[in-house]
Amino acid sequence: MTRMSIRDALNRAHQDLMAADDTIVVIGEDIAGGAGVKGGAELGGVFGVTRGLGAKFGEGRVIDTPISEASFIGMATGAAMTGLKPIVELMFSDFIGVAFDQILNQAAKARFLANGRFDLPLVIRTTMGAGDSSAAMHSQSLYGVLAQIPGLMVACPSTPADAAGLLKAAVGSPDPVVLFEHKGLYGHEGDVADDLPAVPLGKGRLVTEGESATVVALGAMRHAAEAAVTSLEARGISIDLIDPRTIVPLDLTLIANSVKKTGHLVVVDEGTDFGGFADAVISAVARDHFGALKAAPVAVTPPHTPIPYGRAGEHAWLPHADTITAAILALLDMQETA
Amino acid sequence: MTLDDLKPLFEKAHFIRAFEHEIAALSEAGDVPGLVHLCLGAELFEVALCANLEGPGDQVTGSHRSHGLALAMGADPVAVAAEILGRTGGLSEGLGGTQHLLAPEVGFLTSNGIVGGQVPLAAGAALSAKTLKTGGIGVAVMGDGATNQGAVFETMNLAVALKLPLLFVIENNGLGQSTSAHYASGGISPMARARGFGLAASHVEGGDITGCLKTVDRLVSWVRETGSPALVEASVPRLSGHYHGDEQLYRSAADSQPDPLEQFEDTLLRAGATATECHTIKTGAHAAAKAAVTAANQQADTSDEAVARWATRLGGAA
Ligand SMILES: Cc1ncc(C[n+]2csc(CCOP(=O)(O)OP(=O)(O)O)c2C)c(N)n1
Repeated sequence: MTRMSIRDALNRAHQDLMAADDTIVVIGEDIAGGAGVKGGAELGGVFGVTRGLGAKFGEGRVIDTPISEASFIGMATGAAMTGLKPIVELMFSDFIGVAFDQILNQAAKARFLANGRFDLPLVIRTTMGAGDSSAAMHSQSLYGVLAQIPGLMVACPSTPADAAGLLKAAVGSPDPVVLFEHKGLYGHEGDVADDLPAVPLGKGRLVTEGESATVVALGAMRHAAEAAVTSLEARGISIDLIDPRTIVPLDLTLIANSVKKTGHLVVVDEGTDFGGFADAVISAVARDHFGALKAAPVAVTPPHTPIPYGRAGEHAWLPHADTITAAILALLDMQETA
Repeated sequence: MTLDDLKPLFEKAHFIRAFEHEIAALSEAGDVPGLVHLCLGAELFEVALCANLEGPGDQVTGSHRSHGLALAMGADPVAVAAEILGRTGGLSEGLGGTQHLLAPEVGFLTSNGIVGGQVPLAAGAALSAKTLKTGGIGVAVMGDGATNQGAVFETMNLAVALKLPLLFVIENNGLGQSTSAHYASGGISPMARARGFGLAASHVEGGDITGCLKTVDRLVSWVRETGSPALVEASVPRLSGHYHGDEQLYRSAADSQPDPLEQFEDTLLRAGATATECHTIKTGAHAAAKAAVTAANQQADTSDEAVARWATRLGGAA
């Protein structure tokens, strides 16, 4: 066991994977950095995740690109169809817009259209999350949008072990996988087993165990929810907190079994209040386990607006631990200050 | 260009420089919410460009690095600063911030968080001007890095195919974040690419005020009169990090470039201005910039109220 940050765990996972398999290439903007600039040092990506890879594996395998997301994501898709295992870094998930055809129509559909005659081991790592005043075009959590597209696997790690483990699983997956890393969590530390074991796609984790309600949360919201759960412990309220870790495939069994026990469901989602992850979970539970629910399920999401820049606006926009606490208490029909 | 024509431009360029320094200082003090991409090195060119434009008939769109352009088009400096600070009185009450400055009232349609995202929008402004016969033009300002975006290539072609009164402006500072244009940009210059699409194209040095004014005037007049697109590439230094606080370890100290504002001052001195005159203009500009940014910094942050108003308007789930 070693304690390390999500950034370092991802970096180590890249090192392990690339050392073991020389068909893995890493592609993105500024991921080695300083390309063509004389005399400078390596940047290693704007969040430092790929630092050192360029020096170790060379520019043939750590490929800095022009600011051309449509072409380099399409290139990575084609390469994944023809023998390479590309890991693409898309600096911010907000930039997916300029590359969307290559993801939505090309990467997501190629295996289906070939009726599975080839694997498409493409991994797109990208960032998400508000909280640092990066504003409307550098803060979105677009996992729900991608999860709607059949053919893509979508995961959102919230701990160092899961980040490294999901990256490993993603590289081994025959289907394209998009990993959403929360910008605010890169420095988040946790214990990681020395061999950085893969975390299977589609397997959620029960973070805390309890009786009163089921709370489903991922990414940074998992940590906000954990804080809410801790604050409720003092009042004798215990919670099943589930971090599904992957959205597609989703561990509905874990969620359903918990709801059958607690009868109460809260889903926390930084993505969107309409037709997103929270709505999908609530809809699935309501359809299949309506009888288990003792009250209407609750979605805790930001309001339906772009992400504001000003500090007060962004703070008000984001769900926080106290928002989640209040939602759980309201669901359980309890006063906020008892 | 007489000395009297040049002095206000010198003053404006220094105002922008000082404005950026004030923002940088507030950023260090923790008063600026987001990362700011300063335009240090491009002020002279931007002032020369906008001297040939008139909003709101002409509409300019810019990149993430657009504080100077918004100011050069005549946006209220207190409102620009307040937006960058995320405060009340900001252009959009702090909803947009440093990368999302919108002042269409004065001809600065929008800046952008997405590299190249602003370029098709300027084609739209050009289409409006053409269709509505306003006599205005669209102007798309971008960095050299943006020229590798598909939307930019598409817009160059579209502007030629549809004959749009659109001026493409490339501020070539040789860098996109940490990556050099030399590495990223397929060997040929933005101008050569533009000519490949059939655009009229010229190059200017960002430290040459008379050259910038003359070339921009010629191209703007051509776009206005013929209704056809053109491109101007300006070589400008990036005198700062990609954003303020960028340590730039990827860059060696040796690549320091001359400061266009010093070159501008030399031009003035050669044209007969005295050192005292230049000094007076600069101190005045610095004081004015400080006053504007300080006034903005005294405003409250009410962006929570601003976003709440939108939450009820956009029709999300209740
Ligand atoms: C589509 C997209 N890709 C990447 C980025 C991240 N990014 C922001 S600015 C920048 C460099 C832009 O370089 P250039 O266009 O030359 O402008 P400069 O910063 O030099 O003014 C990058 C890569 C982005 N904002 N949008």
